[in-house]
Amino acid sequence: EAMCSGKLQTGLLVAGYFIYLLVGAAVFQALERAAEKQEKMAAAQMKEAFLQNFTHLTVAEMEQFMKNLTEAIQNGVYPVGNESQIEDSNWDFSDSFFFAGTVVSTIGYGTLRPKTAGGQIFCVFFALFGIPLNIVFLHRVGKMLSLLCKKLGKFLYEKGMRKKRIKSLTLLFFLVTGILVFLCLPSLFFQMTEGWSYSEGIYFAFITLSTIGFGDYVIGKQPGRNYFSYYRMLVAIWILFGLAWIALLFNL
Amino acid sequence: VLLALYLGYVGLGAGVLQALERPAEMQVAQHLLQEHWKLLANYTCLQGPALQRLFQGIIQAYKSGITLQGNTTSLGRWDFSGSFFFSISAITTIGYGNLSPSTAAGRIFCIVFALFGIPLNLVLLNEIGQLMLLGVQHCAHRLEELFHWQKKASLLIKTCALVTGLLLFLLLPPLLFSEKEGWSYEEGFYYSFITLSTIGFGDYVIGMNPDRTYPGWYKNIISLWIPFGMAWLALVIKLCINFLE
Repeated sequence: EAMCSGKLQTGLLVAGYFIYLLVGAAVFQALERAAEKQEKMAAAQMKEAFLQNFTHLTVAEMEQFMKNLTEAIQNGVYPVGNESQIEDSNWDFSDSFFFAGTVVSTIGYGTLRPKTAGGQIFCVFFALFGIPLNIVFLHRVGKMLSLLCKKLGKFLYEKGMRKKRIKSLTLLFFLVTGILVFLCLPSLFFQMTEGWSYSEGIYFAFITLSTIGFGDYVIGKQPGRNYFSYYRMLVAIWILFGLAWIALLFNL
Repeated sequence: VLLALYLGYVGLGAGVLQALERPAEMQVAQHLLQEHWKLLANYTCLQGPALQRLFQGIIQAYKSGITLQGNTTSLGRWDFSGSFFFSISAITTIGYGNLSPSTAAGRIFCIVFALFGIPLNLVLLNEIGQLMLLGVQHCAHRLEELFHWQKKASLLIKTCALVTGLLLFLLLPPLLFSEKEGWSYEEGFYYSFITLSTIGFGDYVIGMNPDRTYPGWYKNIISLWIPFGMAWLALVIKLCINFLE
């Protein structure tokens, strides 16, 4: 009978998972489709306007040029500004370091990604050993964080609180300070450094720390902004501790 | 010591990737520059500012996921199948990003959806992983009974399971992808690993080529392959972690 209930549980889990996905799909579709239509119309209008202004450019040539341009953008080469900007590489060392970090943490923004076959294969094996290494590392960092919590628990115990109450209090404290330190405060910070709105910052912080990493928002990529030299390192430290915090939350 | 190892490993990867990617990137940049100048040379009335504005517009559209090719009556990407695939990419934390919510409401929903969906996904993956382990152990016991082997059977079965998983989830799917998507085998392998490890760059995504037609069973097979493959890879990584710790 235990086996029966186990199988039932698994079945329910699978069904629930599938239903969850379906509901999500329907909601996303409902929310995003209208906006997408608008963007498409705006893009088509822009194209039309451009063609009208330069009428000796044939549509075929325009299409070809657009294709080349889109390919270049997909490859991360933005043809804005003067020639000297093309001299700057996307793969200087600090970019590559940040990229390697997004690989081992499985965030994987995708704004920067290997195009050569060699780079791609290397990426696979780099991740194969890097992901376990990252997890082990996060465990250690998490242990440090949990030590802080234990100290708080001890302090409260000495003050005469009951054990059960201490447990729930430290959990609450851990949750609230974590949300403040890893989600709310960084979003304020990003508001200043990236010019995003506060809600965009929260969205970015959540998508990054959950390791989803869509890549629609990435730090340090706004054109025309000056970032202070240790900006990316600071963000990397935030990501590490934030990930460790989330990993701990799951274990609690 | 662990910190040093970690930083060193990431730094090493950075160096290698830089060495591998920079030359190719320079080539693409040069090519684009040539195209740019060719266009301006052919049509001398095209002025810099107007062209720049066009570029900005195209870049903006690209970031919103719009491609400016062909006519405008092509299907949108937030149809049900696209949204379904997006939901999967969110709760598995793959997060391709080729499609991402642009409305504020969509983003808020995305956060809430993922907040509950990710644990749900982890629980499911755990279940699948346990089932796989049970299956392997069951097989090992059966073999031990049948042939009166002792400890050797366990190791043999485990390697067999590892190799089967490798074939099924990482080595065979690229063949399917190269046929349906037109990628090279290496690209298919790269895509498979990047997806199953939940890194999910989004540079390669199945079923996104507007010039190709996909059979009905294709996306369904992929929806099966992803959770099972992820569960298998998670088990393999757990093994690596146990080895490291």
